[in-house]
Amino acid sequence: MIARVAGGGRAGEARVPVEDRLFSLVLALLATETGLLKSEILSSVRGYAERYDEGGQNANLERQFERDKDDIRELGIPLETVESPDRPGDNQALRYRIPKGQYDLPDEVRFTPDELALLGLAAEVWREASLSADSQRALTKLRSFGIEPREPVIGYAPRLRVRDAAFEPLRQALDRRQTVRFRYFKPGEAAPRERTVDPLAVVLHEGRWHLHAYDHDAQGPRTFLLSRIVGDVEPLPGRTFEAPPPGIQDRILAELDELRLQNAADLAVTAGSDAEVRLGRRAVLRDEDAGVIRLHYTDAAVFADELAAYGPEVRVLGPASLREAVRARLQAVVEAHRNGGAA
Amino acid sequence: MAKRQKPLKAPDKLVFLLSFVPYLLEQRVVAVSEAAQHFGMTEDEIRDAVRLIATSGLPGSTGTYQPNDLFDIDWDSFEEDDVIIVVHHVAIDDAPRLSAREAAALIAGLQYLSASPENAGSASLASLRSKLTVGASAAPSRLAVAETEADESLALIREAVAEGRQLEFDYLNARGERGRRRADPLRIISQDADWYLQAYCHTREDVRNFRVDRMSDLVLTDEPIGDHSGRTVPDTLFQGSESDLDVVVDVEPSALPLLRDYLADSTRQEVDGRLRVTLRLAHVHGLKRLVAGLPGLVTVVAPAEARAAVAEWAEAGLAGYADREASDGRR
Repeated sequence: MIARVAGGGRAGEARVPVEDRLFSLVLALLATETGLLKSEILSSVRGYAERYDEGGQNANLERQFERDKDDIRELGIPLETVESPDRPGDNQALRYRIPKGQYDLPDEVRFTPDELALLGLAAEVWREASLSADSQRALTKLRSFGIEPREPVIGYAPRLRVRDAAFEPLRQALDRRQTVRFRYFKPGEAAPRERTVDPLAVVLHEGRWHLHAYDHDAQGPRTFLLSRIVGDVEPLPGRTFEAPPPGIQDRILAELDELRLQNAADLAVTAGSDAEVRLGRRAVLRDEDAGVIRLHYTDAAVFADELAAYGPEVRVLGPASLREAVRARLQAVVEAHRNGGAA
Repeated sequence: MAKRQKPLKAPDKLVFLLSFVPYLLEQRVVAVSEAAQHFGMTEDEIRDAVRLIATSGLPGSTGTYQPNDLFDIDWDSFEEDDVIIVVHHVAIDDAPRLSAREAAALIAGLQYLSASPENAGSASLASLRSKLTVGASAAPSRLAVAETEADESLALIREAVAEGRQLEFDYLNARGERGRRRADPLRIISQDADWYLQAYCHTREDVRNFRVDRMSDLVLTDEPIGDHSGRTVPDTLFQGSESDLDVVVDVEPSALPLLRDYLADSTRQEVDGRLRVTLRLAHVHGLKRLVAGLPGLVTVVAPAEARAAVAEWAEAGLAGYADREASDGRR
């Protein structure tokens, strides 16, 4: 039986599918202790070997190998490069391998059917393509245990969208620890300003995505709203930075919470209105008779936008700065819609 | 069972192959149909993968693949009984670790779920998070979602959906009208911070989306829900209807993603540095709130009634401040 499969995959056969080549490459790199030279890989691993030119013209194949290496690393597979002790700096003497100890999912990482059901639901949360693809790949890996998740929860579909165009490039920059440049429109400023930052964490707080980053221009850490990033997020080639301390994202969330508690607004809301219902849920104090509620907010500009949407259903009593911000927003909407032209 | 619709890309297929091998080793003997169900793939896809794995292995020292360095399966069982048995394996026996991004995507998804009653069960978030972190080949990407408090009504609604019992509640609709409703709850769906109940409304005699924060005085009745198997529950929150309102607006290009749910078509026309697009909404009440909440970013161009409705809404809001300033002045 073996005879017909072994040796059959060589010369003259149709092009080897990409996943076949990647699979063969992973197997070869996992099996080697000392690592394989690039020339050994290209001349022997299925998917490359068929196209290998003994005469030495393998530039296309080498580029292919570079791309495959990146793809494999993107999947979380620890593909290592080992320099030759005798010939440091010589690219032709580099060896490649995947250390099995760092490849295998550790034994303690096992999940119960209940946990797998919850992870399945967590994966379904994402509507955005790359987060969804990442979650699904993770679930595929966990299916290797052969454990069936508890019956999925029916009639339950929590979803989170990511609408900020800056999200995906920033998430990549986080992973690659890549310095980026973008234009940022800070509220109160007349025009967007260019910022060069090291992205440290991306967090969702109060329904908004925030970037916490080291700002090279301000020479200190700053937090940005993704919705105020204008245009493209541009990675700066060759500029990377040290990994921030673990758990920095939790610290940033705690800081944003603290900031939220420092800001309190008193609002008069119309009884029975949408504003009363929705804002009332977030109230920390309420005076039913006067129809006044107090609630906390993180960012005055963001909160003023939200309050403006309620039109006459809510009136800001204080602080004065928030009151003025909402008034100015309503004024702007009136002006844009009362003048003759299309603004 | 897993479900999947889209064709897989090569890296996804690789992840599948690398996960399929340890699955086969763990199961020892498994039917093609069972494997297909477990991984959410077709039986043909599983058979193709088995053939690929069975012919894969390690390149020998001479540059050719030798039988002992290849995977092998029990071909008779496979071809005659559609059963997979790996009889020889090389290089891998365990699943690969998660990538930093994969672990982070699941952790952030779990954090979002913490708002839901589902998370109160036996599976604890903290232990899942630590397992995912240990299972990743690098520290999970620094991505986090703030945990929020679950709406109190949500637990009761979940119970109603799970047990198939009718719900009664007061509902304030987007037009500002309040009324008592009786409904057969079908599905809970959330969009970002907002939770909705999709239910068959006895008053309207149709499936409707109810926003959970607009529901009050909920009563879980003992009446079972009707049979709605013939009815489709829409996958999106906004359902088009003949009474929909088409509105032409000019929007700052950077704000366009915020209107994505409302775009009637893909037409974009540049007008003085802004984009002219058409929005489709259920009624003008939604429009005025949407536009006033994006002050300075969106301007309604047509129809004139919609433009006027937005202006009136903002003027009414503005009047609240004028009155107060005047009365403050009198004091």
